[in-house]
Amino acid sequence: MRNITEGIILKSFPLGEADLIVTIYTLDYGLVRVFAKSPRKTKSRFGSSLEPFSYNKITFLGNEDNNLPRLIQADIIYPFQSLRDNLKCYIKSTEILEVTLNLQPERLIVKELFYILLDTLKKLDSECNTNRWNLFYKIKLLKYSGLAPELSGCVICNCAGRTFYIHEGAVICEDCFIKGDYPRKISLSQGAINLYITILKWNWDNLHRIKPSDILNSELNNMIDRHIEYRSERNLKTKWFNFKVQQVMGSSVTTP
Amino acid sequence: MSEGIIGRLIDALTSLPGIGRKTAQRLAFFILTMPKDQAEAIASAIIDVKNKACFCSVCFNITSSETCEICSNQSRDQSKICVVEEPSNIMVIERARVFDGLYHVLLGSLSPIDGITPDRLKIEELRQRVAKGNITEVILATNPNTKGEMTAQYVADVLKPFNIAVSRIAYGLPMGGDIEFADEVTMSRSLQGRKSIV
Ligand SMILES: [Zn+2]
Ligand SMILES: [Zn+2]
Repeated sequence: MRNITEGIILKSFPLGEADLIVTIYTLDYGLVRVFAKSPRKTKSRFGSSLEPFSYNKITFLGNEDNNLPRLIQADIIYPFQSLRDNLKCYIKSTEILEVTLNLQPERLIVKELFYILLDTLKKLDSECNTNRWNLFYKIKLLKYSGLAPELSGCVICNCAGRTFYIHEGAVICEDCFIKGDYPRKISLSQGAINLYITILKWNWDNLHRIKPSDILNSELNNMIDRHIEYRSERNLKTKWFNFKVQQVMGSSVTTP
Repeated sequence: MSEGIIGRLIDALTSLPGIGRKTAQRLAFFILTMPKDQAEAIASAIIDVKNKACFCSVCFNITSSETCEICSNQSRDQSKICVVEEPSNIMVIERARVFDGLYHVLLGSLSPIDGITPDRLKIEELRQRVAKGNITEVILATNPNTKGEMTAQYVADVLKPFNIAVSRIAYGLPMGGDIEFADEVTMSRSLQGRKSIV
């Protein structure tokens, strides 16, 4: 069966001499893993279309039962080259791909999420120096993955509360909290909770109007990252990578 | 005939029926990583390589002694270092016969999504080589893909304080190819990296 769709390259894994296993987030099939023959050869017809972020029109053979369908064509619609042009921007954009890989199961079709992913990369393409789009994307991704944290009041009694329990994925108030049961918790500011609720509820197309302060953005972002790590049972490698780079370079990682 | 211990192995493998130069090279580097008991079951030339090959203490090329042939060759330009991802890349560059300086093998490329952080590559070792002060130029010959590109950029940043010439190999269309089949990224890089011919 020949499948034609649009997709964004998330990750590739070398196989043998010059072949690749490529993970693509597609519009019509969700997350798919395909086999690509010889793209690593200098004269390959795939050219640079299988580099991360590349937004392509793709054709692959094989249906859902095939454990590894074969990619036969990938034509670049938009390369997102700027995301690969400087290290800072690359790390930031790679985080988007990593959380998608960690939270989206294979073959789950979520067209809205595809368009949000595509738009997030477009936003990073034009303003890579801000952090807000990563936060917006992660919250929408959690929503479409059915894993959005519950922050609007205590999840048990519905009263006001601002302590987020990672294990529960929700806010629990002082009264409902059972001592010793929830070792990992984060105290959130009301501002962070309000920001979260707004991002979660608002339509993606309106989110450009929200410009959170760096402090608020990073407060909520840290909580979201810990939630994602707990839910996906995986550490965020991009975050660790960024930490390592900062350790060596300080803030001197330059733009070209 | 190729020189060096790996060259000898490749030559030996090439003499086998149905094994071309590329396959022989692939097999040679595969043998380097295979379990010892398997390797011992194969020919004595392979065992020889398996027993003697190690990383050069200076450049991390593959060698059978403390320093590799290239590092210990005093007639090579001691002021230039060409940085590559894998030892096998050195052979490809050597075959082009246009570079007579020294090498430095990173033993991989940076990849945030795979958790390959800078400390897992031989980047600090490169910085220390440059810090000794004899190097005037570093050429970054990592792969022309995203990981190689980001690795080159990171290494360039690390070397910035030394104020030496740091260059990146040119991007372009493969020789023998046809412009019609070039994708837009390759094409735009080729145009950006164009050279005057008059
Ligand atoms: Zn309560
Ligand atoms: Zn050496």
